[in-house]
Amino acid sequence: MRERGRELTIVAALAMLSGYLSLTQANFRDAFTISTILTNAAYVAVVGIGMTIVIVAGQIDISVGSMLAVCALITGTLARAGVPMPLVVLASLLLGLGMGALNGALVAYLRVPSIIVTLATLTVLRGAIVWWTKGYWVMPLPPGWKVLGTTHLLGLPLPVWIGWAAVLAASILLAHTVFGREIYAAGSHPQAAQLNGIDTARVTFWVFALNGLLVGLATMLHVTRFSMVQTQEGLGLEFLVITAVVVGGTNIFGGSGTVMGTYLGVLLLTVTSSALTFLGISATWDQAIRGAFILVAVTADIVRTGQWRQPVGWA
Amino acid sequence: MTEALLQLRGITKRFPGVLALDGVDFALTAGEVHALVGENGAGKSTLIKIISGVHQPDAGRIDYLGTPVTFPTPRAAADRGITVIYQEVALFPDLTVLENLYVGAYPRRPLLRHSGRGRRVDWMAMRARAQDVAASLGVKLDLEAPVHRLSAAQQQLVEIARALLRDARVIIMDEPTGPLTQQDAARLFSLIRQLRSRGVGIIYISHRLEEIFEVADRLTVLRDGRRIVAMPVGETTREMLIHHMVGRTLDTLYPHTARQTGPPVLEVEGLGTSGALTDVSFTLGRGEILGLAGLVGSGRTTLARAIFGIVPPGRGRIKLDGVDARIAHAGRARELGIAYVPEERQRQGLVLPFSVSENLSLVILRRLSRLGFINHASERTVAHDVVRRLDIRTPGIGVPAATLSGGNQQKVVVGKWLAAQPRVLIMDEPTRGVDVGAKAEIHRLMSELAGRGLAILLISSELPELLGMSDRIMVMHRGRIAGELSRDQATQEKIMAMATGVA
Amino acid sequence: MNIRLLWRERVLIGLLISSGVVLALLSDVFLTPANLLRATRYAAEIGLVALPMTMIIISRGIDLSVASNMALSAMAMGLLWQRGLPIWPAVAIGVVTGTLAGWLNGWVIARVRVPAIVVTLATLAVYRGIATGLSGGTGILGFPESFLALGAGTVAGIPVQTVIWIAGIVIAAVFLTRTTNGRYIYGIGHNETALRFSGIAVDRIVLGLYTASGFVAALAGMIYAARVGTAKSNAAAGYELSIITAVVLGGTSLAGGEGTLVGTVLGVLILTILQNGLTLARVPAAMQDVLIGTVLLAAVLTYRERPMRKEVSAQSTSQPAPRRAAGRAMSDPENTLAAGEERRKP
Repeated sequence: MRERGRELTIVAALAMLSGYLSLTQANFRDAFTISTILTNAAYVAVVGIGMTIVIVAGQIDISVGSMLAVCALITGTLARAGVPMPLVVLASLLLGLGMGALNGALVAYLRVPSIIVTLATLTVLRGAIVWWTKGYWVMPLPPGWKVLGTTHLLGLPLPVWIGWAAVLAASILLAHTVFGREIYAAGSHPQAAQLNGIDTARVTFWVFALNGLLVGLATMLHVTRFSMVQTQEGLGLEFLVITAVVVGGTNIFGGSGTVMGTYLGVLLLTVTSSALTFLGISATWDQAIRGAFILVAVTADIVRTGQWRQPVGWA
Repeated sequence: MTEALLQLRGITKRFPGVLALDGVDFALTAGEVHALVGENGAGKSTLIKIISGVHQPDAGRIDYLGTPVTFPTPRAAADRGITVIYQEVALFPDLTVLENLYVGAYPRRPLLRHSGRGRRVDWMAMRARAQDVAASLGVKLDLEAPVHRLSAAQQQLVEIARALLRDARVIIMDEPTGPLTQQDAARLFSLIRQLRSRGVGIIYISHRLEEIFEVADRLTVLRDGRRIVAMPVGETTREMLIHHMVGRTLDTLYPHTARQTGPPVLEVEGLGTSGALTDVSFTLGRGEILGLAGLVGSGRTTLARAIFGIVPPGRGRIKLDGVDARIAHAGRARELGIAYVPEERQRQGLVLPFSVSENLSLVILRRLSRLGFINHASERTVAHDVVRRLDIRTPGIGVPAATLSGGNQQKVVVGKWLAAQPRVLIMDEPTRGVDVGAKAEIHRLMSELAGRGLAILLISSELPELLGMSDRIMVMHRGRIAGELSRDQATQEKIMAMATGVA
Repeated sequence: MNIRLLWRERVLIGLLISSGVVLALLSDVFLTPANLLRATRYAAEIGLVALPMTMIIISRGIDLSVASNMALSAMAMGLLWQRGLPIWPAVAIGVVTGTLAGWLNGWVIARVRVPAIVVTLATLAVYRGIATGLSGGTGILGFPESFLALGAGTVAGIPVQTVIWIAGIVIAAVFLTRTTNGRYIYGIGHNETALRFSGIAVDRIVLGLYTASGFVAALAGMIYAARVGTAKSNAAAGYELSIITAVVLGGTSLAGGEGTLVGTVLGVLILTILQNGLTLARVPAAMQDVLIGTVLLAAVLTYRERPMRKEVSAQSTSQPAPRRAAGRAMSDPENTLAAGEERRKP
């Protein structure tokens, strides 16, 4: 079997945290809370899937928060203009795909490093959408808007199910398709990938496009739960998502990582946030703890694998 | 010669400043093991890169399976059944063994049962075929282990298995036994014979002449980019072969001057590091060149790095001029007058984009500065001085080291350490990838330095180099000193016997 | 002294002048000394932190935690002052806090060998989080005039922080171009392994860089607090991106080994002038972001289109580096199979 060490560690941490909370805090057991945690995690997880794929491919995308804002505000505006919801959803997906493809083209074909490209699109997209909306929130929204976000299926909101479906689909894509395996190859050793006939530029392009598409999907899971769309939607999302990906065991330099790890990472971060509230720790410490998570997770990894001991230049 | 699998005629390849291949002919028949021999820089790697589509020839033609071909990319050659097993392993460290066997050529099946095009990786088929191949190789491969966990020898086996899985008609093996143990090498030879009987053509490159006599049917000798001779292996002898390869007497290539070895400079007692070295003791005297032989992985490089402080010190003592030295890091070793010319010139020896002068001053920069401020004038003086002394051929001291030839780059690495005026110079494969001319110059320099009292520890996989240059040869086997030979006693056979643990 | 400018620096000067001209046409106020001096108050905060950031990026690292560190140091200072400590000792302790925070980054990066992007991404959250946690979400106001002068005062008509910035530029430039450690920083960026094999204490230099980054960030945090008159946990939010943008705009390569402080200063100036001038010209802030992002992309594309010539001078170490197709700046250097290099996993 493939290594599952990281996943198991997170599951254990999750189990301990939730177990402790369920035993000591009566409220935590409420279906409402679990459902809330899963729902909050769903859209982050979908962005996390895209980010995992991008990072596995040896790239990074810090523009996801801005892309989400663009999708959210434009779809909100479309919905207000009376466009039917299925078309609004489609628009979100296409918008995401388009922006992701733009990032991808710049990285893959104009060969600008991805951190610079997405740093630029982070600024440009957010600026453009705020300028276009003049900073006004999009509201009120038509009644059909919240159908996707608030419909329940078997006791759980639709976004949770869609999130799970996306995790499953992406896991299969990464593990079992030729394209999926080429992503790992390109991220693990780009030169060797090219020697083996893999078109790394094409892989890179589609990885970013796919990431954009997933941001479009995540937007729909997220904003349809609320009755307005704010201009600061998705602000700082990139940090949250990259944290989850790293905590989930994906190598920040590419070549290894799983979507399931990322999903568990997202859950852990979400549960931790809730736990803080339940344990009476002010939410203001949330960010500090989240950061500590990355440090501990990665440091533990490096110590566990003994990389820190290895003399330099030691193959 | 009508049924030649691969036929090259008049292949010429020019690189900036070098004529790498000059009208070379080469023919490979199906079911033949054809050894390609020659000194480093003779053009062997250029020739295989042309056959495998990495480089395009400037002139000449290639016929493959009876028709003229061009391979614009390595992929094109691979698709036609020409596979190279490179010296530097080109595997994916994060991926499993199984996957490494198939990257770029996955067996596919449809995503859903009847959904047309195959987009899905057929893990079942992969595993089954991989197990077959591993069985036919007679080796155990943990298919699910990530490659970065494998030893160098295991990684090599993965590469060989990969070639077999691709139904290669021509397999090019570039120093395949380098990282292998004696048993693994023997297994490889039987495998090569098995492949030969299946009609695969094998181009075999090795510096180890005994291997060529053991496994090859024919051989082609290259020297300075020209084909010197091509003939059946049975029609030649070792001595003739060396004569063809080197094209001159060994005296000029290995200028050994009679010297008196002075008092010990470096004394190593009971040195051990976890796993890699056990109880290593030796002394190195003033003006002595001590050769260190051993197979790859025998601990030679680890020993050098332990003395130089890059591998953390373990048990044992190191004395310099009779004084105990605690070498916790490389900076300390440098202060104590130990210099190390590492085996990987480009990765460990040079900052390629830095200028020649910046590279030459790297080690002694603090000495060339006052209060941390670099004295650029003395930096230039030192650089000019070293360039002149070592006869480094460069358009100027300001050009990037990357633009120099391999031999001159190596002289820069040696030069930056000589500038530090060391007491002990450790040279790890100092002439690997260096052309014959520069090689002789580096050897002459070594003799000259030893003549002036420098103590040199020479690590080399080239036995002729060790035999030609050393005053004494120490052989390592599995992290221990397996034995020591004086210059007069030493022969290739004795060294190999010790290195392989037979003696 | 013979000042040679690299191609990208000439591009930047052209960009600076042309944007100055355009902005002067758009607004009467823009080209007045008073306005330009005022603009440098903001530039100084970004510009100060950009100096060590340039060196860190040249060494193929990154420090994402600088803005959080600014907030943390200022918060530490504010809380101590609020609890009765005199202002200058409080400032000193605030600066020490930031320096320690930078040292911690460096320690984890150099000793534990965790990639800088991961470490500082984590401490970005940790330091900001501690600042938020300590503050309880409220800001601290009412600092004495003597402290506020750091952000609003002038020396001989020039804003205090601008004077500090200029001093910082001179010190940093001399350090980077004239000293051994400056040379080593470029070397680490190009090929850390070769430096280690030359017996150079790479870890100590790296540790020093991140510590310096923490110190300067703390200093900038004080200046920020003094300029806005408040110590607050969301101070300087998002500055890390502006700072990195300025450095990259200035031509420093995220792949390491390449970059100059001249470029960074020009990058900071262009960024500031665009923001200031466009604001005066009543261009909405959001539109400014669009323009700045576009300028960044365009600049990087320009650098890429014309590889730098190797300039034979003591300081320049640039050389056309083959960018790998799927290359990410913070990952491996260009390691080609042809060169016989093996890939080292981070």
